[in-house]
Amino acid sequence: MSDIGKVAVIGSGVMGSGIAAQVANAGVPVLLLDIVGKGEDRSAIARGAIEKMVKTEPAPLMAPGNAKLITPGNLEDDIAGVADCDWIIEVVLERLDVKQDLYRRLDAVRRSGTPVSSNTSTIPLAQLVAGLPDAFASDFLITHFFNPPRYMRLLEVVTGPQTNPATVERISTFADVMLGKSIVACHDSPGFIANRLGVYWLQRGVIDAIDGGLTIEEADAVMGKPFGIPKTGVFGLLDLVGLDLMPHINSSLSGLLPESDAFHRTGRDLPFLTKMIADGYTGRKGKGGFYRMNKANGAKLKEAMDLASGTYAAAGVKTIGDLKGVEKNLRGLMETQSHLGRYAWNVMGRTLAYAASLVPQAVGDIVGVDEAMRLGYNWRQGPFELIDRIGPAWLAERLRAEGEAVPALLAQVGDGTFYRVHEGRRQFFGLNGAYRDVVRAPGVLLLDDIKLSQKPLLKNASAAVWDIGDGVACFEFTSKGNSLDEQIMDLLGKTVRLVKERFKALVVYNEGGNFSVGANIGLALFAANIAAWGEIDKLIFAGQSTYTQLKYAPFPVVVAPSGMALGGGCEILLHCDAVQAHAELYAGLVECGVGLIPGWGGCKEMLVRHAGDPKMPRGPMPAAAKVFEMVSTATVSKSASQARDMKILREGDGVTMNRYRLLADAKAKALSLVDGYKPPEPQVIRLPGASGKVALDGAAAEFAKRGIATAHDVVVAKGLAEVLTGGSADPTDDLTEGDLLSLERSVFAKLVREPKTLARIEHTLVTGKPLRN
Amino acid sequence: MQVYKAPIRDMRFVLAEMNDMADFEPLGFDGFDLELADTVLEESARFCEEVLLPLNASGDAEGCTFENGVVRTPRGFREAYAKFRESGWTSLAADVEHGGQGLPESLGKLVEEMSCSANMSFGLYPGLTRGAYVALKAHGSDELNARFLPKMVSGEWAGTMCLTEAHCGTDLGLLRTRAVPKEDGSHAVSGSKIFISSGEHDLADNIIHLVLARLPDAPKGVKGISLFLVPKLVPMEDGRPGARNGVDCVGLEHKMGMKASATCQMNFNESKGWLVGEPHKGLAAMFAMMNSERLSVGIQGLGVAEIAYQSAVAYARERLQGRALSGVKSPEKPADAIIVHPDVRRNLMRMRAETEGCRALGAWVARALDRLERSKDKAVRQEAEDFCALMTPVVKALFTDLAFENASRGVQVYGGHGYIRDHGVEQFVRDSRIAMIYEGTNGIQALDLVGRKLPAHMGRYLRTFFHPVSAFIEANSADPQIGEMVKGLSRAFGALQLATATIAQRGLRDPEEAGAAASDYLRLFGLVALAYLWARAAKIAHEKMPAANGDASFYRAKLATAQFFYDRVLPETAGLFAAVKSGKASTMALEEAAF
Repeated sequence: MSDIGKVAVIGSGVMGSGIAAQVANAGVPVLLLDIVGKGEDRSAIARGAIEKMVKTEPAPLMAPGNAKLITPGNLEDDIAGVADCDWIIEVVLERLDVKQDLYRRLDAVRRSGTPVSSNTSTIPLAQLVAGLPDAFASDFLITHFFNPPRYMRLLEVVTGPQTNPATVERISTFADVMLGKSIVACHDSPGFIANRLGVYWLQRGVIDAIDGGLTIEEADAVMGKPFGIPKTGVFGLLDLVGLDLMPHINSSLSGLLPESDAFHRTGRDLPFLTKMIADGYTGRKGKGGFYRMNKANGAKLKEAMDLASGTYAAAGVKTIGDLKGVEKNLRGLMETQSHLGRYAWNVMGRTLAYAASLVPQAVGDIVGVDEAMRLGYNWRQGPFELIDRIGPAWLAERLRAEGEAVPALLAQVGDGTFYRVHEGRRQFFGLNGAYRDVVRAPGVLLLDDIKLSQKPLLKNASAAVWDIGDGVACFEFTSKGNSLDEQIMDLLGKTVRLVKERFKALVVYNEGGNFSVGANIGLALFAANIAAWGEIDKLIFAGQSTYTQLKYAPFPVVVAPSGMALGGGCEILLHCDAVQAHAELYAGLVECGVGLIPGWGGCKEMLVRHAGDPKMPRGPMPAAAKVFEMVSTATVSKSASQARDMKILREGDGVTMNRYRLLADAKAKALSLVDGYKPPEPQVIRLPGASGKVALDGAAAEFAKRGIATAHDVVVAKGLAEVLTGGSADPTDDLTEGDLLSLERSVFAKLVREPKTLARIEHTLVTGKPLRN
Repeated sequence: MQVYKAPIRDMRFVLAEMNDMADFEPLGFDGFDLELADTVLEESARFCEEVLLPLNASGDAEGCTFENGVVRTPRGFREAYAKFRESGWTSLAADVEHGGQGLPESLGKLVEEMSCSANMSFGLYPGLTRGAYVALKAHGSDELNARFLPKMVSGEWAGTMCLTEAHCGTDLGLLRTRAVPKEDGSHAVSGSKIFISSGEHDLADNIIHLVLARLPDAPKGVKGISLFLVPKLVPMEDGRPGARNGVDCVGLEHKMGMKASATCQMNFNESKGWLVGEPHKGLAAMFAMMNSERLSVGIQGLGVAEIAYQSAVAYARERLQGRALSGVKSPEKPADAIIVHPDVRRNLMRMRAETEGCRALGAWVARALDRLERSKDKAVRQEAEDFCALMTPVVKALFTDLAFENASRGVQVYGGHGYIRDHGVEQFVRDSRIAMIYEGTNGIQALDLVGRKLPAHMGRYLRTFFHPVSAFIEANSADPQIGEMVKGLSRAFGALQLATATIAQRGLRDPEEAGAAASDYLRLFGLVALAYLWARAAKIAHEKMPAANGDASFYRAKLATAQFFYDRVLPETAGLFAAVKSGKASTMALEEAAF
């Protein structure tokens, strides 16, 4: 699959070890080197970093076992090991002398032609290779990861005039396919793109808040949701990344950027910031930052800093005040004559203008800038997409009116927009003034693109069906949170008939943040509150029969989940012929958390899977016990790899590292199953019956005694045990899938009438958190 | 002719047979038992029949008078009120701590019903004092309460609630009355209020007004309203009423009915007042008593409907016109009494079925008020609060709508003799009409039900009604005696479930959909609630009949009335359901100019 069989990472700090972990997550061995430690173990620093990662949350490793792929070492005894490596990534101190000294040592031992890249965020490539042999420079590039490397999908790649294009191609492909990164090729200009623009935005965000007399809660509210930026906004983000990082990147950028750059006009010394850092107020990693948790008097109180006085007071609600009502209209937001409206313009208007000035200076096209801010700063839309929403002509006019320079690209686009859809293709505004197609890499297929050129084959309020070519149809959830409801079940049923007639295979996939958060329990709760038990039973029955239809359909069905696949969203995975999962898959049967049990065949499928595993001990009890353990605790996988350990994924199921490649991989998998496809054989299963139930009930009671389970947990666990042990069945009875589904239904119907179950559902819906009653 | 005997037998039925007296035990109503309840009901009945009833028609004819800022109640009211107070009727359900008798609301509401039957205008005076008491008890400072509550509980001082101003009734956000803080911690309240029931009268030594007003720094709209206690006379150090306080009645409203109740236009001129509860949270403090108050207005409706029914029955037995369709019933008389005629019976049965049904529903909700007030178990209080919140708009609007309809049916039974004033039954039509309007119009009640109560906590309030009804249906659908009735209940309940889900879904997308369906939905809800209680009543009647001996006629009547309700009233739920389902389109189609 890849010609990179082993990777060396030099430097085991947070970034270095994180990068090493992601390489290991791809199944590729890593040599992780750091300087010699002080104690007996000369590799203690690198070893310690690996050990620490196993305990870190969010976890850098997709499975704890992946740590075994990382070999720790030290730069004195083990540097020769890089000779076996196909890529060397340097992640050491941001000091030119240290880096260059290391490069010379690496150059002496590496195999010739082995790519070497730096993770620097501030030092230009030209300086890094200055004075080094040409052969080294030809193999050298910058690969700038974002923190944390497992979860941030952006990789900025910077090459020099001497860098060998084949090397760039090789590294980019590996980073894309194996590490799941989206590559943005940047020019060798200061801060590259994401940080150059991001730091400009943060800097403006701080200074304009001070000058405009905003509270930090107001500033974060205005910068957050209305612009599709994470709710941490400006000050919350600074707390998260560390206040000490900002002056560092700032001074490095100011040192490198020409006098004429707008960046200089945002900068000014903020003595209070220097003092905060000196006092240990470096953000969440320190004593707190702009926000802090005051744990005095035993209570936890979130406090916010007053920018004028530097004192803390209880944090207010983040509200956009007088901008309410116009928050969806960004132009209206920036035109509002209030301190908040002016802030929106001062920060965002100028940041967008700055973005326009960076093309082609820092990056070749606008697409790269947008991708960088989306994936590097988690903006929902990139700057040029935002400008299109505001109107490029309006932005240019407002800049002119305020006496600001209008960037050339913005002037050039005139009354047009930066993106358009032309003959079903997405196009962007090129430097020569002509529109060019947005081209996806080979192996990338996006539903978003497909939708531009066709109408759905079927559609209702909660789902749609698309033709993704080569005889494959794609079923997409479109409901809020991709929650599952009657409409989805209805359309799935129709889809099975459609595919039977006109297609070869079906893929279940969507491009939401989460594959599915499960059944729409809000509807179920309302139905339960009005005692519409018949309706609830109908919904359970509809889900069961729809999933059964999917399982026994005369064509292959592949499901391609990414993010959360919970409850009913996990049960659909269990009913498909194959799963092609994004590596970041958080799947689990979480029904017990809201006082219910899986009712759409989740219990049934998990039982059948465990019972059919030749490695399980013999007899009917082990499968029941295993499923009980997983479901009663509402365990959710923290990666696709863990989902496989939980048997949510089976042996033949695939994992895709790059989110963009998921649909294409799933489609390929579906097509590979078409020839000679036969639906699975219905299974019968033997379950332990009453004696098994006593054992599982006992386990639940024991948890309650130890204070781990609440009284209602025990009620729910007993219901689950009833299903998993086969109800009143005898261990010698062969139970059909239908028998198990009936059991699920009857226990579900009982539990949904429990007032404590309804209290759990209500609490979860309102607060997003579980209720332990 | 106004005829009234307190329906003590039926009150006993809803108090002790449809509900369990043992429920009061854990709520700490020491010494309250059926014997005490009987005594109270009998005493109250005597007072209402002998003292209040005779003043009803005369009070209506005479009305209140206004002269030089002084309001006089009709002849006999002062003496009746003094007796009412001395007999302890004002303090019945008030807390012992404030000099009350600490009896349950479940009993208090039955006594209220009697006084509203006998004399609705009279009942309003102590009713408002009671409302002011509840609000103060919940939100007033200890100091304020110690100073004012005991005298209000004893009835020496009366109370009012001053919300409405000339330009704002339903939309209190527009309120203008101002309150300026004074150095001694009190406030100077200035402004004009209208429609103030019992705003000024000659029954009590002092009148304690609860006034909604704005503080100088108040935000706009409903979030800037505060509640103040403003006495007519400022109490002196020794507690006796002192100097006048710039509170003046400037006129009486001229009304359709309730003539003996003084409805005043009030002026407050820098009147001394004290803040009740927190600044700007006045509406919330006011709403603390809304559940109890709105239930009381429902009870007023029930009371009027009861006397209208009794008066109609008396006339139908006496009035001789025509012969029975099934053959002559009283050959010795020139004609049969009109009670033999099916259409007259239709009116009487309907009045009876709805009135007794409402009494049972009111008793069910009153129990929840007692649990809410007194239970030590938080979960029980929560359930009771949910239930009261849900049922308050239903009770208020349903009871008062039915009261007006039934007062009108009573007039129909009388024919022309009802329309003229001599028999006093047209008074019931006029008196009952206001109950559909005040304390939040019935349209507002319906909006409250669909807009606030349905969606609250993802429908949690609904559980308190739907679950017991659903459980009752499941438990009794195969019952040999009431099984058939339960099938009817089940159908209507199913329609209510569907209507609820429909409104919740459509209303989420388009609030106007919920608004257009609201009143029909509330009536549907109310009829299903009555049907549930009638089925329960029938079940009890079947159970008790075999051993009832002398009481068998009561249970037989219950069964017959229950059956009438199921045959002749409940079918209306189908029409209401169809109306709800039809959506808002035809209601909203016409352009304003086309009206």
